[in-house]
Amino acid sequence: MKRFALLTLAVALGACSSVPRTTSLLDQTRVDYRAAQSDASVARYAPLELKQAGDAMEQANAAASHSESDDKIDKLAYLAKQKIALTQEVAKQKAAEAEVAMSAKERDQMRLAQRTNEADKAKADSLQANQVAQAALDEAALAQRRTGEAQRANRESQARAAQLEAQLAELSAKKTERGIVITLGDVLFGVDVARLNPDGMRTAQKLADVLQQNPNRNVLIEGYTDSTGTAPHNQELSERRAGAVRSALQEMGVAGGRVTARGYGQSNPVAANDTAQNRQLNRRVEIVLSDDGGKISQR
Amino acid sequence: MTTHPKLGIAILTVAGALATLGCGSMKTPATASVAVSNAAVDNAAGAGGAEFAPVEMSTARSKMALANKAMAAKDYKLANDLAMQAQADARLAQGKADSAKAKAAADALQDDIRVLREELDRTSK
Repeated sequence: MKRFALLTLAVALGACSSVPRTTSLLDQTRVDYRAAQSDASVARYAPLELKQAGDAMEQANAAASHSESDDKIDKLAYLAKQKIALTQEVAKQKAAEAEVAMSAKERDQMRLAQRTNEADKAKADSLQANQVAQAALDEAALAQRRTGEAQRANRESQARAAQLEAQLAELSAKKTERGIVITLGDVLFGVDVARLNPDGMRTAQKLADVLQQNPNRNVLIEGYTDSTGTAPHNQELSERRAGAVRSALQEMGVAGGRVTARGYGQSNPVAANDTAQNRQLNRRVEIVLSDDGGKISQR
Repeated sequence: MTTHPKLGIAILTVAGALATLGCGSMKTPATASVAVSNAAVDNAAGAGGAEFAPVEMSTARSKMALANKAMAAKDYKLANDLAMQAQADARLAQGKADSAKAKAAADALQDDIRVLREELDRTSK
C-alpha cells in the first residue's frame, strides 16, 4: 500500500520535473526584460509598470521551469513582452511630460524677457520719436520766424520803395538814361544869386530826407545857366549854385562824400535861349540820383 | 521506512486536485477578462491608438473578436487567454499613443523656445 502510494506520487511528480524548457519567444522576452531593468528612465518614471512586467516575466519563467507546453510558455511570454514594451512607452511619456513642465517655465521666462525688451525698445523709440518731433517743431518755428522776418524786410523795403517813389514824385523827378534826375528850377534861387530861397530850401530838405532814408544812394549836383552874360561868369554862377545846393544838403546832415557838385555854365541847355521863358528853363540845377549801389553815370 | 498513511493520502489528494484544476469552470474569470479587455481597447482607441499604434490596435481587435467567438462556443479557457493578450496589446497601444502625444507637446515647446531665443538674440543686438 505504502509503496504503491509512493510510486504513484513519484510518477506524478516525475511528469513535471524534466529539464527546464524554453522557447525563442521566451528567450527574446528575457532579453527585453533585462534591458528594461537596466534602463534608468524606466526605473525612474515607470516603476509600477516594471513591477507588473516583472510579475508576468516570473510567470513565464515558472512555466518554463515547470516544463509546461510551448504553447503555454509562449502565451505567458507574449503577455510579459507586451508589458515590458509598455514600461518603455510609459517612461518616454513621463519623461516628455517632465520636460514640458520645465520647458514651459523656460519659455515663460523668455517671453517675459522678450516683452521687457519690447517695452524698453518701445520706450526708446517713442523717446527718439519725441526728439525728432521736437526738432521738427523747432525747425518749423525757426522757418516761420525767418519767413516773418523776410516778409517784414520785404514789406519794409517795399514801403521804402513806395516812399521813395512818392518823394521823387513830389520832387518831380524824371527817369532819364542817366538815372533819376531832379531839376531845381530858377525860381528856387534868388535872381542871379546862388542862394536858395525858402522854396528852394524846402526842396533841398525833401532831397535830404530822401538821402537820409536811402543811405546807399548818392547825388551829383550839376548847375547850368542861360546864355546871358559871359561864359566865365556863367560857369562860376553855375558852380556856385551847385555848391549852394551841396551846402544846404550838408547842413541838413547829408555826408559830404555823398554829394558832388559841378557847374557846366551855359553849356547843355535844354531849350534854345531865344525867349525869356526858355532862358529861365536853362537856368537850372540838375540833381542826378545814383542807383541803389551808389553809382552815377557821368554825363 | 515508515510513512504516515495520512500523509500519503493527503499528497495524492493534493496531486489529484492539481490535476483537475486545469479543467475547472473558467466562465467567470473569462467573462471578467473579456469585459476588462473591451474597456482597454475602447480606451486605447479613444487615446489615438489607431493613429500611433495601428499594429497593436488591429491585433487587439482581432483577438477580441476571437475571444467573443470562444465565449459563444463556451471555450472559456481560450476566451480568457485571448482576452488577456488583447488587453496587453490594447494597453501597449494606449501607451504608445500617450507617449507620442507627450513627445509632440515637448517638441512643440522646444520649437517655441527656439523661436523666442532667436527673437531675443535679434532684438538685443
